[in-house]
Amino acid sequence: MIWAKEETLTRQEIEEIQFTRLKATLKRIYDKVPAYRNKMEQAGVTCDDIRSLDDLRKLPFTVKQDMRDNYPYGMFTVPKKELIRIHASSGTTGKPTVVGYTKNDMAMWTECVSRIACMGGASDEDVAQISFGYGMFTGALGLHYGLENIGASVVPASCGNTQKQIMYMQDFGATLLVATPSYALHIAEVAKDMGIDPSKDLNVKIGLFGGEGMTEPMREEMHRLWGSDMKATQNYGMSELVGPGVSGECLELCGMHVNEDHFIPEIINPDTGQVLDPGEKGELVISCITKEALPLIRYRTGDITRLFYETCKCGRTTVRMENLSGRSDDMLIIRGVNVFPSQIEEVLLQVKEIGAHYEIIVDRKDYLDIMEIKVELCDETLLDSYAKLGELEKKIKFNLRTVLGLDAMIKLVAPRSLKRFEGKARRVTDLR
Amino acid sequence: MIRQLSIFIQNEIGSVARVTAILKNNNINLRAIASFDTPQFAILRMVVDQPEKAKTLLIDSGFAVTMSEAIAVELEDKPGVLHDLLQVIADAGIGVNYIYSIVFRNGKVPLIIINTDNLDKSKELLLEKGYAVAEQGDVGL
Repeated sequence: MIWAKEETLTRQEIEEIQFTRLKATLKRIYDKVPAYRNKMEQAGVTCDDIRSLDDLRKLPFTVKQDMRDNYPYGMFTVPKKELIRIHASSGTTGKPTVVGYTKNDMAMWTECVSRIACMGGASDEDVAQISFGYGMFTGALGLHYGLENIGASVVPASCGNTQKQIMYMQDFGATLLVATPSYALHIAEVAKDMGIDPSKDLNVKIGLFGGEGMTEPMREEMHRLWGSDMKATQNYGMSELVGPGVSGECLELCGMHVNEDHFIPEIINPDTGQVLDPGEKGELVISCITKEALPLIRYRTGDITRLFYETCKCGRTTVRMENLSGRSDDMLIIRGVNVFPSQIEEVLLQVKEIGAHYEIIVDRKDYLDIMEIKVELCDETLLDSYAKLGELEKKIKFNLRTVLGLDAMIKLVAPRSLKRFEGKARRVTDLR
Repeated sequence: MIRQLSIFIQNEIGSVARVTAILKNNNINLRAIASFDTPQFAILRMVVDQPEKAKTLLIDSGFAVTMSEAIAVELEDKPGVLHDLLQVIADAGIGVNYIYSIVFRNGKVPLIIINTDNLDKSKELLLEKGYAVAEQGDVGL
């Protein structure tokens, strides 16, 4: 089912809407956000220079650092009083990226997620179990509101306590699961251990996956465990833009349809910033053209993908973005949480008992991401007792958890035992 | 008191042998050694005849090493003597951190090496009770 008429407009109609909304939003940002106004002035571009959608490329980019520099509310275009929701994602040394929503933003977000849920096959018949972690992350509440809006019965199970999750699925008759793909696979494994075959004993027939990319091998695995008839789609979004709801796969599985009346996507060469032609691979840049509280113009997502403008077999005319094929930076996605190695480094450098060298190993065990960090012990006075070394491990773990919102395994190793690099250090090994 | 070395070793094949190789190549005599089956890393504790030299050599080879004091007490070879010693320490409200021993002493009685929460007080108590507490010179041979 196609939820909204905006998903089937002609290219010309979509572009007219986009241009009108872009102009209005840009004007508001120019008036209210000094940080972006300064960028425009430095680039020598004014609001009046934007005379067509093509002129979008004249505008400066917004990057994650802008949000940190203007923490917490500097990028907002409305007074704090108008916010009805605030979310945040993890950031360096405890400073998160803050995002806010007005009443209209919440309505827009809910609308966008409703469309994506329908693309993935959801309807008001579904019992939707949300196994994303609730809290400051946008994933769980975004899907929650969207699914309620289409009339599904929402079970806000949150993540963790997997056996109980499976009990809910059985007892409440869940037909739809919202989770990261890796957690969905983990749930299926745990169910098997409990003697429950998810493809036969459970009734989950729709999976709306997000928070991390789902590769095709993972989708195959999903079908193997949950049943070949499961409608396993993925959707895309990030807190800075709105949360989930930017784009999602329809059942044709040929890319994620972007909600183009709210978000304008572009693909750029990440090194030069040059806009690339449709079909070319590069970094995804998104402009929010309807958000009130935090509309970002030309936000660099860091995600590498391609855009396809041909009408989809499902009938939607909105542009499709291909499954992500990497990052233009070194960001890792671990259990759905964005992690920059630089964040880890900042934490480690503040611990004086360990050296400056470290190694990050990311792997997947029982379908769950695990992160191990090797650090060199350099304070030999701790060798007095195992307790002191244990406390050091605990301290590093706690500091990392505070900054990343994630647990890491800490492995103390002997001084000078980690690899040294002469050129650019390769400290991350991703075995997933 | 005697001086012991605590060395950080990773749980890898050959890691203890790398330490003993350095001792052997430099003609340092090992008097006592203790290590346990910990999962990731271990603190290897040793008493040697030339602790300063051993420490320098090990640090130069990339090991994290610390030198600290421990009490070494002579114990007769008969049932119950270790218990009596531990009871003295326990009665004083002092905690024992770890124990190991020096067995080969050219015919002399073995030494129990003991580390507690309060080394000075433990030593004083044991001397009061008539125990023979060894000094570094006694383990050198």
